[in-house]
Parts: sequence; C-alpha cells; structure tokens
Amino acid sequence: MQRFECLKKLAQVAGDALVVSSAGAVTLEWNALRPSDGNFRVRTLGLCSSIALGMAMGLPKRRVVALDGDGSLLMNLSSLPTIARMKPKNLLHIVFDNEVYEASGSKQTATGAGADLVGLARAAGIKNALWAESVEAFAQIAEKAMCGDTLTFIGVKVGTEREPVAPYPIDEVENKYRFIRYVEKTAHVEILKTNLPASYN
Amino acid sequence: MRRSFLICPMFDVNRIATDFERRSSLNSTEAAQTLVKALRGAGIDLVATLPDINLAELLRAVEESHEIIHVPVCREEEGMGICAGAYLVGKKCAAIMQNGGFFNSNNAIVSTLLQYQIPLLLLIYYAGDIGDRTFSTTGSLTEPVLQALGIRYYIMRETDDAPELIRRAQIMTEDSKRPVALLLTKELLGRRPALKAL
Repeated sequence: MQRFECLKKLAQVAGDALVVSSAGAVTLEWNALRPSDGNFRVRTLGLCSSIALGMAMGLPKRRVVALDGDGSLLMNLSSLPTIARMKPKNLLHIVFDNEVYEASGSKQTATGAGADLVGLARAAGIKNALWAESVEAFAQIAEKAMCGDTLTFIGVKVGTEREPVAPYPIDEVENKYRFIRYVEKTAHVEILKTNLPASYN
Repeated sequence: MRRSFLICPMFDVNRIATDFERRSSLNSTEAAQTLVKALRGAGIDLVATLPDINLAELLRAVEESHEIIHVPVCREEEGMGICAGAYLVGKKCAAIMQNGGFFNSNNAIVSTLLQYQIPLLLLIYYAGDIGDRTFSTTGSLTEPVLQALGIRYYIMRETDDAPELIRRAQIMTEDSKRPVALLLTKELLGRRPALKAL
C-alpha cells in the first residue's frame, strides 16, 4: 500500500481538521495534498502523538489528526497509555508503518522485526485501534473517525515509496505563528495577546 | 556503646527530619493549595504531571482543581509535547515533574519548545538539594543543564512568595516565548524547615 494514496483519501474527508505530522516525508506529502496553515510539522522524533493529544484536549470541539510513523511512535510508546487515559473523542491517530527509519537511512525499525503497533495501542487501552488492510478500508475508517466521536487509532502498513513533492515552504517559527493565527481565526479564540505599552496605563 | 549513640535523638539527623515531616503534613497540604491557587492566578489551565513523593500533595491539589485540566503522563517528555500542542490552540500550560524528569525531557525542550519558541512554565522538584540523602548527582547537574539550555530559573523556598513568583514567571515565559523553570524545594512544599541562609 502507498502512503500517498491513503493521504489522498484522508484529504477528501479532512475538512478543517488540525493536522500534526511527524518528522519525515509524510509532512511534505500531506502539505502537497492539503496545503493549510492548520498543518503543523513536528521536528522532535516521537512527539507527534503527544502534541496532537495536547491540541485535542485544548480544543475538544475541533478534529485533530496525528500523522505518525513507526519509528516515531516507537520512540514515544508511552504516549499510547496517556492518550487512552485522557480519551479525547476528537483525536484520530494514524500510523504509517513502513518498518524502516525512512528519513534516517532506511534501517529497519522494531515493527520490521514483528512489533505490532495496533496491538500495542489496544493493550494500552485504545479500544478502537485497527489495521487498515487496503486503501479503501483506510478511507472508510478515516471517514467514520472524522464524522464520529470516538478516539481512533489506525495502523497502515505501507511501502517505502516517496512521492516527489515540494519541500516544506516555511520554518518552525513561521509554522507556529501561522498555525496559531489559523486557530484564532477559525476557532474564535484569542491566543497571542500584545499588552498596551505602559504609557497607556 | 555505639548502639546507644545511634538512638540518641540529639545526634540522629534522620529522626529530626522525620519528626518535621510528621508534623508538617498540614504544611504540605497548605503549600499545595497555595501553589495551585497561584497557578490559577497566573491563568494556567492545563498541567502535565509525573509524581515524586515530595510532589504528592501538590499533584493531589492539581487533580482536585476543577479549573485545571490535569494530564498525568507516563514519561515527562510527553508532557512537553502535550503542553506545546495545548499552547498552540490557546491553553496556558505548566509541567510539574522531578529534575530527573526534566532531564528526560531535554530533546523535546530543545527541538520543540526552544526551536519553535513556545513558552512553558516548568515546575521542577529539586531532588538532590542541600540536605538530601539521595539524587546528589541529579541535584548537582540541574542548574548547569538549565543554564546550558538558556532557560531562566528561580529557586523557590518561600511558600508566601509563590503566588507572585509564579505570576511573574508566567509573564516571563509568555514574553520571552521560551520555557522558564521554577525549582520547587522541600521548604517550599512544606516538607522541611526553612533556613534563613538559603
């Protein structure tokens, strides 16, 4: 299965969901398919699931999607029991499992040696955790998760193909500001406040 | 002879500490309530935590606060991500942990909080502080690591100062868009007598 084909299906149902993506090619592919200031690129390997959890808890009425990888999730497995404990209904956690550290020279990860990420998610307490066995199955589960109100974890076994797409157009700080301004505008919250100068007091 | 020396209360420093701790359960409960009130006063509404025995009362008070979303994490580095994500959608966050947990969090502090210029109030229990019988290595490296990261920090020993110090630290982290650390000592948490010299 190809990651890019799955991402195309997700883009059809993503709407205005906030999307947090793990370090690596998945970020570039997603941004090519759904360019938006509601996309947030993660640079700390492993932190994607935790950042997405924080967003989902901070904005419970907004759909949040984590685009995680096997190497990334393996580094932050303890986020699974934390997500299960907090149970955010608006979080969809997707893991594209290509069984290698794709961005770091394609050495095999532990999933290539048999570790089962969906099994780990279930054992951590995420009841609605399942493997998508085809692009169509992925599309169905993703659509259901985007419309429903259940914490969902989807594992997808994918190949190591990369789609030739443009590089990420902005740096980390610009990504932060654009993302915050996008949330302010679309969720009607005030996040960045500038105080009046002291001379106004 | 030796045995009678050891049980003599005058010379048994462990016994003195234990007596204080026995007497001070009220102190630590009050300190915890003061700190949680201070966090609320600073606008904090989401707190990620991982326990240390000296933080037990504080974490209980956080859990009981209806105004704070409490996220108990399994590893402190998760908390950096959770707080960063919550900040990006409008929450004011704090992370409460032991200094060992601060060490656990360093990659996320560097490549998420500092790299993206995300503010966060770090409330770090100062294990290995003067007088402690454990974690001396952790204690001796806590301030140098904070300094190396360019994280401004303040050592909290006076419970009475806590509300104002927490309020000011929150202003500093928001204004600088960098994490700011407050080191929580046993004195602050009502678990050891305060000394004028510290």
